[in-house]
Amino acid sequence: MRGGYAGLVLHIDLTSGHHTEEPLPPDVTREYLGGGGVAARLYLDLIGEGLTEGSPPPDALSPENPIVIMTGPLTGVKVDAVARWTMSSRSPLTGFWGDSNVGGHFGAELKSAGYDGIVITGAAATPMLIDIQDGTVEIRDAAPYWGADVYEATDRLTEDLRGGGGRGQVLAIGPAGEKLVRFAAVGTRKRHWAGRTGLGAVWGTKNLKAIHVRGSGEVPIAMPERLRVLREELKTLYAEDMLIEALTAFGTIASIDLGALTGDVPYQNWRTGFWAGVDELSSVAYQEQLLTGNATCYACGVRCKREVEVKAGPYAGVKGAGPEYETLCVFGSLCLNTDLPSIAKANELCNRYGMDTMSCGSTIAFALECFETGLLGPEHWAEPAPQWGDAAAIVELVELIGRREGVGDLLAEGSAAAAARLGGGAHTLLSTVKGLEAPMHDARGAHGLGLAYAVSPRGACHNASLQYPIEPGGMFVADVPELAVELEEQSSQGKAALNVATQDYGTFFAGCAVFCNLGARPLSAAQAVEMVSCVTGVDYTLDELMTVGRRVWYLKRGLSNLFGARAEHDRLPPRLMTALDDGPTAGGIPDMDLMLSEFYALRDIDAQGLPRRGVLEDLGLGDLADLLDR
Amino acid sequence: MGSFTSSEQFETMLGGFFEHLTTVPSIAEKLLASKLIIRFKYTDPDVVLVVDCSGDALEIRRGDSETTATVEMFMTADVAHRFWFGKVNLMMALTRKQMVAKGPVPKILELLPAIKPAYQLYPTYLRENGYAQYVID
Repeated sequence: MRGGYAGLVLHIDLTSGHHTEEPLPPDVTREYLGGGGVAARLYLDLIGEGLTEGSPPPDALSPENPIVIMTGPLTGVKVDAVARWTMSSRSPLTGFWGDSNVGGHFGAELKSAGYDGIVITGAAATPMLIDIQDGTVEIRDAAPYWGADVYEATDRLTEDLRGGGGRGQVLAIGPAGEKLVRFAAVGTRKRHWAGRTGLGAVWGTKNLKAIHVRGSGEVPIAMPERLRVLREELKTLYAEDMLIEALTAFGTIASIDLGALTGDVPYQNWRTGFWAGVDELSSVAYQEQLLTGNATCYACGVRCKREVEVKAGPYAGVKGAGPEYETLCVFGSLCLNTDLPSIAKANELCNRYGMDTMSCGSTIAFALECFETGLLGPEHWAEPAPQWGDAAAIVELVELIGRREGVGDLLAEGSAAAAARLGGGAHTLLSTVKGLEAPMHDARGAHGLGLAYAVSPRGACHNASLQYPIEPGGMFVADVPELAVELEEQSSQGKAALNVATQDYGTFFAGCAVFCNLGARPLSAAQAVEMVSCVTGVDYTLDELMTVGRRVWYLKRGLSNLFGARAEHDRLPPRLMTALDDGPTAGGIPDMDLMLSEFYALRDIDAQGLPRRGVLEDLGLGDLADLLDR
Repeated sequence: MGSFTSSEQFETMLGGFFEHLTTVPSIAEKLLASKLIIRFKYTDPDVVLVVDCSGDALEIRRGDSETTATVEMFMTADVAHRFWFGKVNLMMALTRKQMVAKGPVPKILELLPAIKPAYQLYPTYLRENGYAQYVID
C-alpha cells in the first residue's frame, strides 16, 4: 500500500477558470518525496517547456509565474511536528526562487480533501477565490472580500463557506498582497504564514484572494503498527527533552535569552554587539506582559505558538497570535525598541495586512538608520524624524507599508529595492542576500550561518537548511556523522562541509518530509527515516533520503540560477561582514572566501556559481543542466 | 583526565566564586528573585555546590546533597570552568548532553540574565585569588 499521499494534485488555471486533477506519480515522490521538493520539480516542469523554446523565465508578477502549494507525505499524520507544508513560486521580492514552509491545519485539511497539492497558473480578471470541499472544486467571486484584512477575510470566509460537514481552513492574503507589497504573506488561521519571499504579491497579481478547503478523509498510513511503536518511543523522548519543554513554555521566544549570551541576536540594524535593553525582551518579560496561552499546529502536542493580549496602554486591544522570536527581534532588538506591547501591535498589523514580519521589521530598521543618516528626510516623514526605539513610529511605519502610503510605498518594495532608489550608500545599511532580509541570527556568532545565508537558493535564510539549529547547538543529530562533528561557532573551518550536510539532511527533513525544524528536533535520523517509511510504505534508507535532499537542493539552486543568480549573489552584505566593537562576537567575521571556495568545490559549482552538468546528471537533473546550458 | 585533580581545590575555587557573586548586588538581586535552590553536581573531580536563593540572603553550601533542590545541573568540572568564561554554548552543551539540567525549564531560563554579567567577573576573580593559571584567554 502506498501511504502518506492522496495521489492527486489539483491544477487550477485562473485565466480560464478551469481545473484538472493530475496524478502524483510514485517515481516523482520517490525522487522528490514531497513538500518543497515536489513543488520545485512541478514548477520546473511547468516553465521548462517555455524556456526550452527560448522564452525568458516568467516575471514573478506575471500570469505565467505558477504557484505550487504542496504537502509532504507526513502532513496530516497524527504525530507531533509534522503538520507543515510548502508554497513555492518565483519571488517578487528577490526575483529568484521563492518558497515558504508553513504550519497550521491547512495542509492536513487539503490532504483530507483528496489533494497532495495545488498548482495555480494564469491570472483571474477580477478577484476570485478557490473553494475545495472533498474533491469538489469551485472558483468563486471574491469581490466582496477584496480589501478585507486577513483576520476579517478568514472569519467571513470560514463562516460563509461553511459546508454541511463543518468548518474548513482558509488561506488568504490581505491588503498588502492586493497592493503587491513585495514581502506580502499568505496566512491561515490568523497565525501561520507563507511569509518569506513575498508570495502574497504573486497571489495579488493573480487576483487570488483566498483558498478555502474542507476535507473529511484520512491520510493513509502504510504500516500503522510500526508507526504505533515509533510513536510510543517518541512519547518518552519528548517527555524528557528539555528544549521541547522550553518550546512549550516560551515558544521560539526562548531563543532570545540564549542568543543574547552567544551573540546570536542582532541589535540596531546589525551594527552593535551589545544592548542592555535585550533583557526587557526576555521570555520571562514576554510571559509577564503579553502571554495568555498556547496554540498549536495540527495534531502537535508541542504547542509552541503564542497567544497574547495587550490589556492596557496605547496598544490595548491587541489579541490573538503573538510575535515569534524573529518578530520580537526585528521590531525589538533590531530597532532598539523595548516596548513589548508595541511589538505585539506591529505583529498584529503585519498579520492583518498580510506581510512577512521579518522583511517588514528589517526594512523598518534599515529605514530608521536612513533617517538617522539623512538618506530619508523631511520629504519622507514630517519632522521630527523617527528615532531608534521609537515604538509609535515603528508601528506607524508598519501601517504605511501595509497601505503603501507615503514613505511606506518606497519601503513596500523591500529594503534592497529601497536602497537602490535612495542611493547615497544606502546599500551599506542592508542585511540582504539576494534581496531577502536576513533572519535574526548573527553569522558573526556562528560563521557557518554566513555561508548558509550566502548560498541559500532563496536568499538570506536560516531555514533553507538545518545549519541554524545545528551549528549554534539547538539540534544534535548524533547518528549522522557529518552533522555530529565538534563545532566551534566563531570559526569558519569545516563549515563548508557542515553546510553541505545540513543542506542535504535539512532539505529532506524540513523541506520535503515535511518535519517541523523546531518541534521535530529531538528525532534521530533513524527515527525520521523510520517515520517516513512507516507512513509511505517505502523502506527508505538514510542515504536515499539524503540523496533526495541533495537533488532538491540542486534543483532549487538551479531554479535561482535560471532566474539569474550567479556567484556574485552568494555574498553577505557589507553590514554583516563588519566586525562588531563589543559583545560576544567582538572582532570576528566569517571567512567567506574560504568557506565559499570549499563549498563550490564540494558542490561541484563553477566560478560563475552554476552547478556543473555532471553533478546534475548524476542526480537525474539532466533537464535542468540543459536549461542552464541554453 | 580534566584540568582539575583535586575536589577540594575545585570546590574552594568555584565555591569561592559563587560566594563572590553573592556580593554583587545586580546578580544577587536577580538570583534571590528566582527563589530557586540550585544544586550543581560536578564530576572529574566530584564536587557538589548548592546555591540557595530561597531565603532573604543567598547561601552557598559546599557538599550539600541533602537539601531538596528545585534545579539540578550535572557537568564535568572542565565544562563548568569553561562555562563561566562564556566559552560553553549552553544550548549545544544541553543537546549534546555535556550538561544535563533537571527541573523546571522556565525557572532555569529566568536565571540567564543573572548569569550574563558573571562571565566578566570570573577571570578577575581567578586572578585576584591565586588561580591565575586557570585563566583561559
